Amino acid sequence: MGDEQEIMVRLHQIHKTFGSNEVLNGIDLEVKKGEVLAIIGPSGSGKSTTLRCMNRLEEVDSGSIEIEGEFLAEENGEGVTEYADSKTSRRLLAHMGMVFQQFNLFPHMTVMQNLLEAPIHVKKQSADEVLPLAEELLRKVGLYDKRDSYPSRLSGGQQQRVAIARALAMDPDIMLFDEPTSALDPELTGEVLKTMRELAEDHMTMVVVTHEMAFAREVAHHVIFMADGGIIEEGAPDKLFSDPEEERTKAFLQNML
Amino acid sequence: MNGITDTVLLMLEGTETTLEIFVITLVAALPLGLLASLGRISKLKPLSRLIEFYIWLMRGTPLMLQLLFVYFALPMAGIMLPDIGAALLAFILNYAAYFAEIFRAGIQGVSRGQYEAARTLGMTYGQTMRRIVIPQMIRHVLPPVSNETINLVKDTSLVYILAMNDLLRVARTIVQREFDMTPFVIAAIFYLAMTFVLTWGFKKLEAYYGKYDM
Repeated sequence: MGDEQEIMVRLHQIHKTFGSNEVLNGIDLEVKKGEVLAIIGPSGSGKSTTLRCMNRLEEVDSGSIEIEGEFLAEENGEGVTEYADSKTSRRLLAHMGMVFQQFNLFPHMTVMQNLLEAPIHVKKQSADEVLPLAEELLRKVGLYDKRDSYPSRLSGGQQQRVAIARALAMDPDIMLFDEPTSALDPELTGEVLKTMRELAEDHMTMVVVTHEMAFAREVAHHVIFMADGGIIEEGAPDKLFSDPEEERTKAFLQNML
Repeated sequence: MNGITDTVLLMLEGTETTLEIFVITLVAALPLGLLASLGRISKLKPLSRLIEFYIWLMRGTPLMLQLLFVYFALPMAGIMLPDIGAALLAFILNYAAYFAEIFRAGIQGVSRGQYEAARTLGMTYGQTMRRIVIPQMIRHVLPPVSNETINLVKDTSLVYILAMNDLLRVARTIVQREFDMTPFVIAAIFYLAMTFVLTWGFKKLEAYYGKYDM
């Protein structure tokens, strides 16, 4: 402790517009190794877009993105942002796993096939090599007995836990969560949050876009409040939730709690 | 006077031609249609436009005209094909265009989330199409493909215009010679038998591909 912690993701002055709509107006943030960063804010505030810029599901208009010390996108001398070549980009993005609001499991594959797909076909690992890890991950998320089921047979909460296991099967250093419980019935959010909490306890670096204030407060090390495409306020969860500085933050939290 | 056995035997020979056209067209037009659909959704504008034009041409003119055109125009251009080759070329080009549009709709029916999930797992575009999108597309397009396939069985009868002895032409020849309607009835039964087998086969395929979505 006390040492300079390794920076896993750094965004610098990220700007992004959709058409004439400026959705991100200069985002700066850092994610440290082993840290859980929660991004909260009203819908349309740009929090999901910020997350999606980290793994290039959206491309930024300007600014720079560093993944574990290497540039994914970098501003050149003239202030124009250029992305790394596709090989570098692919290598950097392989450090990150992502969990989506809508799970996005592959419906034509069983739970186990969902987990094995990328390790075998992207990382070119052998089935013998991956299978023990995949089985361990399924046990960890409590779905080993569902290994041969198709996703359509699972509840939303189970599907999301499989999606987490699928991302983990690629052995990422950073996990991105895009409103992972927003599509779930209230009684199913608990099991997903529990899995995420366990992941945090294993010191996984996590960036979580969420509406679950209790989760953000309890599990996150750092919380960012966004509105209108900008970061309004950030800090330790205890401070931000109990004693926010900004009026917007206060108003938002009052509405949520 | 031909007995009924002779009639049936003659018609079985005609059925052979019909089946030959049907099977070869299907086997060639399905993959060609898939390639065309991928070209149609390609980000390469010239390619996409070219395929769009091809589809418009094939769907916008009668199959009969296309058959005649290939049959008469190719020899004029110095390309000599056997009759069946000319017929097959027209059928394959025509059906590939219809399949291409069916496949395109099927591919576009796969949600964006599937592409994003594949991408975040590091899959290339080729892998994503081959392993994620196309298998899901097949499930969605089975009913319309089944429809087109049954149409193809019946469209094969258009080759009578090229003086090829398919099932229907054989039947008509006998009817005209014998003044007896039985060959038409037999032809109908043969067509029905073929479409019955196809309907059954597609039902099996739908059940197989449907196993994952209850």
